[in-house]
Amino acid sequence: MPDTASPDPTRRSAPPSGGAILAVEDLTVAFGGLKALDGVSLSIAAGEITGLIGPNGSGKSTLVNTVSGQLPVRGGRIRLHGGDVTGRRPDRIVRAGMARTYQIPRVPPTLTVEEVLSVPLLYAGRDRHRLPGLGDAASIAAFCGLGPLFRRFCGDLSVTDLRRLEIARALACAPDLLLLDEAMAGLSHEDSVEVMGLIRNVHGQGISIVIIEHLMRVITTLCHRVVVLNNGRLLAEGAPATVLADQAVREAYLGKGFAS
Amino acid sequence: MKTGLTRLLPYALILLVTLALVWIDKPFWIQLAIGVAITAITALAWDILSRTGQVSLGSAAFFGIGSYTLAIFEPLIGLTLAWIAVVVVCALAATLLGLLTLRLRRMYFAIATLGFALSMQVLVVVFPDLTGGSGGIAPPVLADGDPRWQLGLIGLLLLAAVALSDALLGLRFRPAFFMIRTKPELAAASGVPVVRMKIFAFIVSGVLIGLAGACYGGLYGYVVPTDVFTTNWSVLPLAIATLGGMDTTIGPLLGAIALKALEEVARSVIGGTGYQVVYGAVIILFVIAMPQGIVGLLRKAGTLAGRRTAAGEKKKERERHA
Repeated sequence: MPDTASPDPTRRSAPPSGGAILAVEDLTVAFGGLKALDGVSLSIAAGEITGLIGPNGSGKSTLVNTVSGQLPVRGGRIRLHGGDVTGRRPDRIVRAGMARTYQIPRVPPTLTVEEVLSVPLLYAGRDRHRLPGLGDAASIAAFCGLGPLFRRFCGDLSVTDLRRLEIARALACAPDLLLLDEAMAGLSHEDSVEVMGLIRNVHGQGISIVIIEHLMRVITTLCHRVVVLNNGRLLAEGAPATVLADQAVREAYLGKGFAS
Repeated sequence: MKTGLTRLLPYALILLVTLALVWIDKPFWIQLAIGVAITAITALAWDILSRTGQVSLGSAAFFGIGSYTLAIFEPLIGLTLAWIAVVVVCALAATLLGLLTLRLRRMYFAIATLGFALSMQVLVVVFPDLTGGSGGIAPPVLADGDPRWQLGLIGLLLLAAVALSDALLGLRFRPAFFMIRTKPELAAASGVPVVRMKIFAFIVSGVLIGLAGACYGGLYGYVVPTDVFTTNWSVLPLAIATLGGMDTTIGPLLGAIALKALEEVARSVIGGTGYQVVYGAVIILFVIAMPQGIVGLLRKAGTLAGRRTAAGEKKKERERHA
């Protein structure tokens, strides 16, 4: 039987291996009476780069913080590789194969790049043979363009290099799924292009990725699929071109008057 | 970065000074060294805890619990088991206090630990049948009261504290501890079991301070609550570690020596009780003038000297070429 799957023009690297790596079912998270996430159900396909977008306050960061175990769940289920991880501690979720980055990396200024990377290498407890050539701090740093800064103190790094370090730190967790929280925010055009290249290389290692991003350029060039949140609910999902042309999505982003 | 030789420096310093003083056998110097060693242990223990971001003002609680546990348990279960009881009770108290203060940050944590130390003192006075109340209690005398052996034993405990501090500054713990201090969420997102690590640091710190307190109680075989559960033992470790240089092993050692020297000088020059005011003021001035402590000052001097020799070499080089 011939292979009937035709390559999607929006896909830049490895095609999805199929199946959901992360599934969220009817997830509700509330701060007091305010529901930050209100019955969200979605799944992240293995092997893909998925964009998570939505206006400010739509629940993107809440979703990332919740699935990575840092916020308590009011209702619903989170499954990683089909296994229930709802309510698990963040360090356990990392060990189960899901790593995340922080938008504002706050690393101890008196630690070197090498020492920061040593933490996940020692504690994430993951089988490193999955990522050939990325089993030690030096090779991970080199992969992320931090090779020359390996022994430098984090307090001396630029914002771009701190972003790289944050991705390197997450990569040192040897994840199957990587959640990137606004990895490009505040970077110059050149720097963001470089970081995008790095994200593509990470994906090339067979790691599924979820990107939270405000820059549509990033979403359209990197993502296979886009998920849109609005007011704590799922608004739309699908291929980037389709979703971004969607009337409801345009209204949520730009306001009703401008969308038409 | 750090050579093997400088790493051995604290051990060599302690061994040499202890052996020399035991050999010379001058009571004044032995008592001075015992005082330095006990405060150095508490400062090292305080520093170990602070590396995880837990800035404690509760050292006195463990210092007192140590001496009281030894005194209460020795008649019941014998000396050896009583020392084990000191370790167990201090570890339990550290676990309890650590869990209770887990979510408190900085100032709130410091106040909570201070409150714990103060309430321990009240607790001792409230149960006089068990603790002897405000009249005090008699722990077993350390090393049959021979000051030289007392110094030897306390020197051994100090060596153990130094070794623990060094181990916790190794690659396994230092980066993880610092990450917990700077941003606990980031540590957790790197696979670090944050709660377990914080409690672990608390236990190591609490047990060390407790053992130091038990030794202190054993110096004369008699302690009263205001002797061990006093705020002095909560503030002193913090002051010494800050003065000497935090996040290091040699810092608390140098700090303890400097502070004791300062105290003795102030006592002999000013005398009375007025010396304590001057002594306190001088500590404050030192901390303001040297935010990185004595270690920071030495490092700065080291780089300056290094630069000077490098400049000198260059100059010589130029002269040779000219």
